[in-house]
Amino acid sequence: MAVEMKLPPVLDIIRGNIVKYGNPLALKGSEVAAWAKGLKLPKEGEVLFYTGGEYQLLPFIDSLVKTMTHIDQGSKSFSLMMGVRNILDKAGFNAEKVYASVLAKDRERFNSVCYKAAFVLQKLGYDLAYAGDEELYSGALLYELGFWQDLKEYAPKVRRMIEKTRAKTVVCLSPHAAEVLKLVYPKMLPGFSIQVRTFVELVWERRNKLPAISSAPVVIHDSCRLARELEVDEEIRDILIGAGVPVREAERNRQWTTCCGGPGKLLFPELSHVMGSRRVTELEETGAETILTSCPYCLAALAGGQEKGDKTAVEDLIEFLFRGYAA
Amino acid sequence: MKSDLTKAFADYAKDLNQASRDENIQKAMSRAVKSYRATTDETMRRFPHTPDLAAEVREIKTRAIQDNAALLQEAMASVERNKGKAFYAKDAQEALRLALEIIGRGKVVVKGKSMLGEELHLREYLEEHGNEVWETDLGEFILQLKKERPMHILSPAIHVPREQVADIFSKFFQKEIPPDIAAEVGAVREFLREKYFSADVGISGANVVAADTGAMVIIENEGNVRLSTGAPPVHLLMVGVEKIVPTFQEAMKVAEVTWRYAQYGVPGYVNIISGPSKTGDIEKVTTYGAHGPKQFYVIFVDNGRSQMAGDERFSQALHCLRCGGCMYECPVFQVTAGHFGHTYLGGIGAIWTAFVSGGLDEAAPLLYTCLRCGRCVERCPMRINVPGMVGELRKMLVYGESLPGEDLPEAAVAGGVSHAAET
Repeated sequence: MAVEMKLPPVLDIIRGNIVKYGNPLALKGSEVAAWAKGLKLPKEGEVLFYTGGEYQLLPFIDSLVKTMTHIDQGSKSFSLMMGVRNILDKAGFNAEKVYASVLAKDRERFNSVCYKAAFVLQKLGYDLAYAGDEELYSGALLYELGFWQDLKEYAPKVRRMIEKTRAKTVVCLSPHAAEVLKLVYPKMLPGFSIQVRTFVELVWERRNKLPAISSAPVVIHDSCRLARELEVDEEIRDILIGAGVPVREAERNRQWTTCCGGPGKLLFPELSHVMGSRRVTELEETGAETILTSCPYCLAALAGGQEKGDKTAVEDLIEFLFRGYAA
Repeated sequence: MKSDLTKAFADYAKDLNQASRDENIQKAMSRAVKSYRATTDETMRRFPHTPDLAAEVREIKTRAIQDNAALLQEAMASVERNKGKAFYAKDAQEALRLALEIIGRGKVVVKGKSMLGEELHLREYLEEHGNEVWETDLGEFILQLKKERPMHILSPAIHVPREQVADIFSKFFQKEIPPDIAAEVGAVREFLREKYFSADVGISGANVVAADTGAMVIIENEGNVRLSTGAPPVHLLMVGVEKIVPTFQEAMKVAEVTWRYAQYGVPGYVNIISGPSKTGDIEKVTTYGAHGPKQFYVIFVDNGRSQMAGDERFSQALHCLRCGGCMYECPVFQVTAGHFGHTYLGGIGAIWTAFVSGGLDEAAPLLYTCLRCGRCVERCPMRINVPGMVGELRKMLVYGESLPGEDLPEAAVAGGVSHAAET
């Protein structure tokens, strides 16, 4: 007998936002694309630069989680608050108004990751196209949370968005987007055969062109998706070692990497935080001064897992490589 | 029908948070993880053929699950040929009813550790029906006194440090037991020794069953299973139908892979039991109950397993050897121990919870606790794709779908297996 289960409301809110607004937090297309204003990237080209809006929404996820950590999701006040949000959603999600606690510097930092990624790839000689405010989220969370039927209906929109750019290759900043486009879409969309690459792979192919980076030792936090599903791990080491960066290895790395706890953030924020802190400790045991990762959620979870006054920097590989040009 | 799980999620999240702040759990788990990894690395170097053997066992298990109905018939026939009594229980109620019929009331029972026993709440059931039941595995014994459920499938009392054990034992034995592990072990040894020899029935599970010979293979270190299954006049063995493999030789391969990934390296004891104790030493007349049990009963329990076996998305969950290796690698389990679980623990436990021990709604919070990070797959000798199955079950949850096989008539669910001859 089929039983309809009432699950925590946050799941359906995320689902609804993706399906309706093309973004898990219903950010507006113009907000997602704001980083690209100065770059004048064409909307058509062979290589599509795909952010999926994931780095851009990080500061908002954190503040959503902060709100949830203090509210019992089973309580009436939570449902009430979500009701207020739903009303707001009808008119589009005005993130700034709802989440006044989001710091401008966080927004700026995560938005600029996209800019820096495009900058690095252009410097390496890649001609990039970008869908701008028409860009849609990949739907990775629909897959993750079990909304497979919704993904099946949503994926064709993403496909149309990609096909409109006439790209032959999509370069994903987020390994979650790469996973879903590369491994899930072909099963749901007959004939979907666009080449899906990650930022790391594109850089790796032209790593000889990278400028040297002078840095204290770094340690790589392999993202689960990148290392296990996409089997990209040695490439990050090659890139860094090629740029003259001393790399330390954590005890659990590559396919044995420890999850940052990020996937648990929506439903079990406190536990997720504990796991993030533990991973930070594992990484810091190497004595490295900078923790590098190549995944937006790992970046947020590890940065959030640091203790106050922690001297170690947590950076995305994109930010780190950009330094080579800024120096 | 509608089932509101929001409160269950909230309560469960609180429980997980509390566990992650529990210093005993944190201390015990970090020691356990370190020790598991070190021992396993070392034994893999010592026995480098293990990964290849694991790959072979994957094939054996895959075929065995496909042929499960036929193997069950064969195994039951083998047990009967060996002068044991074999039964098939479709579900938990039937398994418990059969066990009670065999054991009766007012008996003293000694029991080895068994996940199936936990699944059926066997000890509690037998106690409610007037029996005195003793867990003989040291960890389970501690939990029996503590009135708690296991926090790891192999080291059930993983979360209880020696100081706490000393308190519990001092109270129970009504004498001062120091927080010294050897003294604690000694106290239990002394207490249970008397129970083994006065018990009416010994109960055990089995790690592997060979269909061709009816051999039940039980791996252990403490020697409690050896005594529980050897000393009392009756041995009742209860085992899940998924444990059956075709041949004795294959059973040995499964056993070796199981203990190696279970951090045993080389186990203290491997028990192989195929029937009641017998002798032909006087006039070549076979007489049963020489030194060991005169009666040997086996109950093969389905309880949702053939439902899993019948769906290609989930049949691999039945390949699980219960080595527990995945749990040491799970980032959630590392901080919460068995709080991430119902009866079955961790990510694989979420799948088992859905099919055999609680149903989809009980499994729901566990299914969403899994990070789908995939490190368990790296460790698993069977390479069971837990994240993939978690995804499938989440899909069923969000769209209110039933588990596969739930709408089928009973005969189809039981895989067409007929019941064994009654005693």
